[in-house]
Amino acid sequence: MAKKPTLDLTKYVRFYEQMVYIREFEELIGKEWNNAAAHGMGGYMHLYSGEEAIAVGLIGGMDLAAGDCFIGHYRDHGYALAAGSDPGEVMAEICGKATGCSKGKGGSMHICDAARGFYGGYGIVGGNVPIALGLGWALKYRNQKNVCACFFGDGSMNQGAFHETLNMAQLYKVPVIFALENNGYAMGTSIERSHANQNLRSRVDSFAMRSVTINGQDIFEVHEQMAQIIQEMKEDPHPVFVEFKTYRYHGHGAADTPVTQSTYRTRDEVARAKDQLDPIKFAQEKLLELGVLTDELIADMQARAYASAEAAMKFSDDSPYPDPSELIKDVYA
Amino acid sequence: MARLRYADAITSALREEMLADDRVFIAGEEVGQYLGTLGVTSGFLKEFGPMRVVDTPISEVGILGLGIGSAMAGLRPVCEMMRMDFAMVAYDQVINHAAKIRYMFGGQFKVPMVIRGPSGVGRQLSAQHSQSLEVLFAHVPGLKVVMPATPADMKGLLKTAMRDDNPVIVMEALRLYFEKPDVLDAILPGLSEVPDDPDFTVPFGKANVLRAGTDVTLIGYSTMTIQCLKAANILAQEGISAEVVDLRTLLPLDMATPIASIKKTHRAVVVQEQWGLYGCAAEISAQIAERAFYDLDAPVQRVTGAFVPMPFARNLENISFPSEHDIVIAAKRTLGR
Ligand SMILES: Cc1ncc(C[n+]2csc(CCOP(=O)(O)OP(=O)(O)O)c2C)c(N)n1
Ligand SMILES: [Mg+2]
Repeated sequence: MAKKPTLDLTKYVRFYEQMVYIREFEELIGKEWNNAAAHGMGGYMHLYSGEEAIAVGLIGGMDLAAGDCFIGHYRDHGYALAAGSDPGEVMAEICGKATGCSKGKGGSMHICDAARGFYGGYGIVGGNVPIALGLGWALKYRNQKNVCACFFGDGSMNQGAFHETLNMAQLYKVPVIFALENNGYAMGTSIERSHANQNLRSRVDSFAMRSVTINGQDIFEVHEQMAQIIQEMKEDPHPVFVEFKTYRYHGHGAADTPVTQSTYRTRDEVARAKDQLDPIKFAQEKLLELGVLTDELIADMQARAYASAEAAMKFSDDSPYPDPSELIKDVYA
Repeated sequence: MARLRYADAITSALREEMLADDRVFIAGEEVGQYLGTLGVTSGFLKEFGPMRVVDTPISEVGILGLGIGSAMAGLRPVCEMMRMDFAMVAYDQVINHAAKIRYMFGGQFKVPMVIRGPSGVGRQLSAQHSQSLEVLFAHVPGLKVVMPATPADMKGLLKTAMRDDNPVIVMEALRLYFEKPDVLDAILPGLSEVPDDPDFTVPFGKANVLRAGTDVTLIGYSTMTIQCLKAANILAQEGISAEVVDLRTLLPLDMATPIASIKKTHRAVVVQEQWGLYGCAAEISAQIAERAFYDLDAPVQRVTGAFVPMPFARNLENISFPSEHDIVIAAKRTLGR
């Protein structure tokens, strides 16, 4: 690599802090799950711990204020936080409160933030992928110099909808980033047990779509590459498929207990990932080395993140449940 | 008699039929190595091996295609949808294909398959994971639609489904899956009991009078039958004798049993978990009007879910589908109270 552009280190310190924040937020939910009903939480609960660098690095490379946008699947808290959504409103949604971003009607899987271009988290595997095609189409239709990112998991690539969408996206050259969060598993099923061709990136070669593989645990690689790609997409609208290699720390959802997890992965594997693949540790070491982070700063950020997650929980706890009259509102525009 | 949970009844039916007929196999997401999302196929992979317990990718179209084609070719597949909402991804395979093949080819082929999975409201599963979409299937000739309410019916109807030569949609009540036998028996003595006889089955198209009464007929299926039983208990305390008719299967639909009951009680309440508009309760009410109008002393009442996508917040969820109290109010309305 001859002329690597110099890194904007203040930006990476900010990204680091965002990742720490998402981690603390998710871990707090994980901890409070024991007390779920008291907070109003329930149903499914999919945590993002381990995968933070993808949302932070990619969304951090978009200009949401200028019209860039994104859409995700149900593992969606991190997307909103990375986009700068109000953590209290995200937590309140997770707890089904009136002050939640979706008025308590969506819950953990259906976070959204229209003002920040977050078109929502969806619960049907692969269901959000075709919608990204339309979001990208609208950008192109209006000649906007914008991109749309679509987050989905490895499981989505086994849905027919995925393949229809990628073909059309390439055919119409829509500016959509198909962001695969390849964490190795779809619920309890590994890639090996569900994809005939386990080189997932090569599965899109048949659409002649531009594609790239990125280490999703390395915020520097995620962001530098995505920033470059996004710029090129804005100059010349086209779709890009990005395979982010990553790992999820928690069970698939709250119902995926240590017992059920033992049917598909070992505790050792998880421990090794936390030790060797952690995106926060990785960024921290590098930023310390570069001299822009200090141990005090780290401790400070950590404490702030924890306090802020607690404050979000408190905001939610202090918020009312939706008024019964809300039941029949918002069915139609 | 064994006292079983609804989920155990599913396991028992699947296992017995797999032992009895080696053409039967199960395909679905997480049915094997993961031991089943809700545990109903726990141990099956080990017992029956990977050709008979097939772990699939998240590919509902593929799962149902695997089922339809292999059924046409002489096997007897059971396709599990992790949730029935996900069958919508593959609705085409069910409606445009499975339901049509027998008729469209003049009876040359048959499609003996079961599509089964949990359905209906759970707890805070929100808009895309709480639906009870039976009406979308019960509208279509060529399909059969089964909605058991009790552990015995769950077992007996699933076994009948697995022996049937047509595509059968078995919609299992998620809310009832893990209800403890004690809880069921407190609603109606013996409700959790399932006959031990391995030849025990329940025929399609035969509704069941679960509780006899004289003043009003409560008609339900699946989770709503249990709500009707709870309502009948409350009504009894107020001196109102309600008869509870469990429809068991929507297609074929037995109207003779509810109409015989109405001829006795002269009043009817029809209960359905999800949206009332154009729903199963509307169909049943229409048939009552056509066939028993002069036996009625009051207009038929429908109790149905709110016409909204399922909200997440617990308080909204709780008021979005029929409670036993809603049924009580409707029953009293037929009695002018
Ligand atoms: C069409 C459909 N089938 C099944 C499910 C149940 N389900 C929810 S998430 C999931 C696993 C998805 O894994 P992946 O796409 O890799 O995303 P990850 O959870 O790993 O982030 C499954 C099977 C669903 N929601 N939708
Ligand atoms: Mg995955």
